[in-house]
Amino acid sequence: MLSRKLSIVVGAMAGRSLVGLLFFLPVVLQGQQYDLLIKNGHVIDPKNNIDTIKDVAVASGKILKMDNDISPTQSRKTIDATGLYVVPGLIDIHTHVFVGSKADKFADGIYSVSPDDFSFKSGVTTVVDAGTSGWRNFALFKEQVIDKSQTRVLAFLNIVGSGMSGKPMQEDVSDMNADSAAFVAEKYKEIIVGIKIGHYEGSDWAPFNKALDAGKKLNKPVFVECHLPQYSLENQLQMMRPGDIITHSYEQVSERMPVVDEHGKVRPFVLMAQKKGVLFDVGHGGAGFWFSQAVPAFQQGLAPNSFGSDLHRFSMNAGMKSMLNIMSKYMAIGMSIEDVVTRATWNSARSIKREDLGNLSEGAVADIAVLSVQKGKFGFIDAGGNKLEGNRKLEAELTIRAGKIVWDLNGLAGQLWKQ
Amino acid sequence: MLMVFYLFVSGVLGAQQIDILLKGGHVIDPKNKIDEQMDVAITNGKIFQVAKNISPHQAKKSIDVTGLYVTPGIIDMHVHAFNGTDVDAYIANGLTSLPPDGFTFRAGVTTVVDAGSSGWRNFRLFKKQTIDRSQTRVLALLNIVGNGMVGRYEEQDTTDMNPQQTAYMIKKLFPEIIVGIKAAHYWGDFTQVDRAVTAGNLANVPVMVDFGEHQPPNSIEALFMQHLRPGDIFTHTFSYGPTVRETVVDDSGKVKPFVLQAQKRGIIFDVGHGGGAFSWRQAVPAMQQGFQPNVISTDLHAESMNSGMKDMSNVMSKFLNMGMSLQDVILRSTWNPANVIKRTDLGNLSVGSEADIAVFSLRKGDFGFLDVRKTKLKGTQKLEAELTLRAGKIVWDLNGISAPSWEEELQKK
Repeated sequence: MLSRKLSIVVGAMAGRSLVGLLFFLPVVLQGQQYDLLIKNGHVIDPKNNIDTIKDVAVASGKILKMDNDISPTQSRKTIDATGLYVVPGLIDIHTHVFVGSKADKFADGIYSVSPDDFSFKSGVTTVVDAGTSGWRNFALFKEQVIDKSQTRVLAFLNIVGSGMSGKPMQEDVSDMNADSAAFVAEKYKEIIVGIKIGHYEGSDWAPFNKALDAGKKLNKPVFVECHLPQYSLENQLQMMRPGDIITHSYEQVSERMPVVDEHGKVRPFVLMAQKKGVLFDVGHGGAGFWFSQAVPAFQQGLAPNSFGSDLHRFSMNAGMKSMLNIMSKYMAIGMSIEDVVTRATWNSARSIKREDLGNLSEGAVADIAVLSVQKGKFGFIDAGGNKLEGNRKLEAELTIRAGKIVWDLNGLAGQLWKQ
Repeated sequence: MLMVFYLFVSGVLGAQQIDILLKGGHVIDPKNKIDEQMDVAITNGKIFQVAKNISPHQAKKSIDVTGLYVTPGIIDMHVHAFNGTDVDAYIANGLTSLPPDGFTFRAGVTTVVDAGSSGWRNFRLFKKQTIDRSQTRVLALLNIVGNGMVGRYEEQDTTDMNPQQTAYMIKKLFPEIIVGIKAAHYWGDFTQVDRAVTAGNLANVPVMVDFGEHQPPNSIEALFMQHLRPGDIFTHTFSYGPTVRETVVDDSGKVKPFVLQAQKRGIIFDVGHGGGAFSWRQAVPAMQQGFQPNVISTDLHAESMNSGMKDMSNVMSKFLNMGMSLQDVILRSTWNPANVIKRTDLGNLSVGSEADIAVFSLRKGDFGFLDVRKTKLKGTQKLEAELTLRAGKIVWDLNGISAPSWEEELQKK
């Protein structure tokens, strides 16, 4: 690194003019305190109420400074983000990433996907696995995926010991143990952000209560997935505490009452639950997001708190595609880009009680997404295979994870090859 | 009026024999020398008809693809898809390989060829775990090393390079899936390549060679002219790793004359971009001097997916922006690889062939493309997969061009 800098100076000296020498000299004398400078981007950092053009400087994997005009001479590398949005690395709170080689399984199976395959190209730097593992197989998940991923992988622990291992294991009430779940969650408290309940077909409320029990013990949220056909939606929402999260919020399937009734009205008890502090996650997936629910809900004030993608093998190529695609859907539905970014970053971070994430405060880990807004005629598909048209679409130009560039769509950080 | 009525009735009487009709697109089908606006009709998972002005009344579903390019499903001849859970393994059953479906359809790819991740000892595991479970058509080159790409160290074991076993597995067991042999990552002399060619002769299949880890480099002229046969494949063509790998373009920027002769002789040059095997300083001069790769491919794996490579449509776009015509790009991503792997049932839109189809938009704008050293080529066009069909089924629809409006559907209820 040093020798390269010196050769630039020598090159400038030998090259042409004194101006060159004067220009390059201060760089060397001052040293370069930043590793990376992102200049002239429109920063949206909801935690810090920033929504304007700022420069962001990164050093040693952290946000070192955000200011109006930071000199490029202080940085080893400068990226021109003119015309682009600079936002905290996106957080996807609903994924299934306990990938393995078991056929027909989510836990340790091929129905889950590898996080790095999808995250960075969509501006995502943190994913939360939604209960694919339970207390019996979390260690394997950690060894096989979490420790091997560049993406930050956090997890909701399934109240079922074997996680999403299919029937009959995941219906086994005797394998649902609040103490065991809480014990494992406590042991891996840097990774496990809450407890998940879902995929239970009985009418016994014991599983739900056990999940809540574990959540209370840990003082962490319970993440309520669908596929609980015997529980009424109203009862579920009543039992949930403020801060607990319901997902597949805009699902229209037979096994759970939709939030919007047959007349197109959001059910009053749903709005009351939202008022109480229950958080609504998108959880798009293959079946979890319908415009016929989401559009009226949005118009009547039931906007999602987070854009969990429910990424897995059956959603990745369907209407879901990526978290950015879901965010673009909401822009097409009418949400402002500021609101979209807020939900994808700071709101998501707070919902999992990880306020160290989802912001660009000085000292925070440098997880950053640089987004462009494509203008044109776009279409978005829901789980019913129906389309909503829009004229804007978000694209991840650059993704930075702990200060390292992990995605660069158009070579923003690259030198021209002839140089 | 009568005419309209007649058309309508005949449509109904024809009982909508077409499942999906792609209407108004610009078809590029190099095998059949089609390069103009045509409609493509699909029935029972096969190409039913390619013609001008096929009536939508005959189709259960008609998709307007005006302004888009309709091509055979793209073949990516170089990927690593033997994904598994052995955290200590390199590519065979390891984390460096990727499950293909998350990368293929969104880039217009319907067929991938795994380039030697498995050998005859572990091919069955690969088949059971990945090939049989993927929507993408997964074909394979079998590594001449019995254990495939478990690790660099194991890949040096000449006692595990058995031409007879390798050929048996291809000819006797899996002739429908295994389309050739791979020799790669070898540090020694020509032993590995020669064994692979022996196996290739026994099984009557091509050999693909990744010839880049010899110190000092082995002669690629000897490789092309003495060791490989016409039809064998040299991959990582535009790699620049001068201390271990001889390059095709010399230090003064000239394509070495024997490289052009080798291509004339029938050696197939494959891109195999990967995380370390594509440099502008090789590719741009080569293209300017008329040396085009026979096949465009990605070398998709965990180290290339988020780097300069990204996906097949990105690699294809790189060649467009270096000046290759769109027709040539499609040829080198469809019909050429189909021929190289002797699977002429693929890579074309002939009537009766399986309906693997890609529909691309050609985006215009300011784009940049990175090579493996993170240097950039600027460009003005980029291919994007709008719609991908695999065996007649829509497996990717970027902007919902096949989907009805949600409001209209709601009103119908």
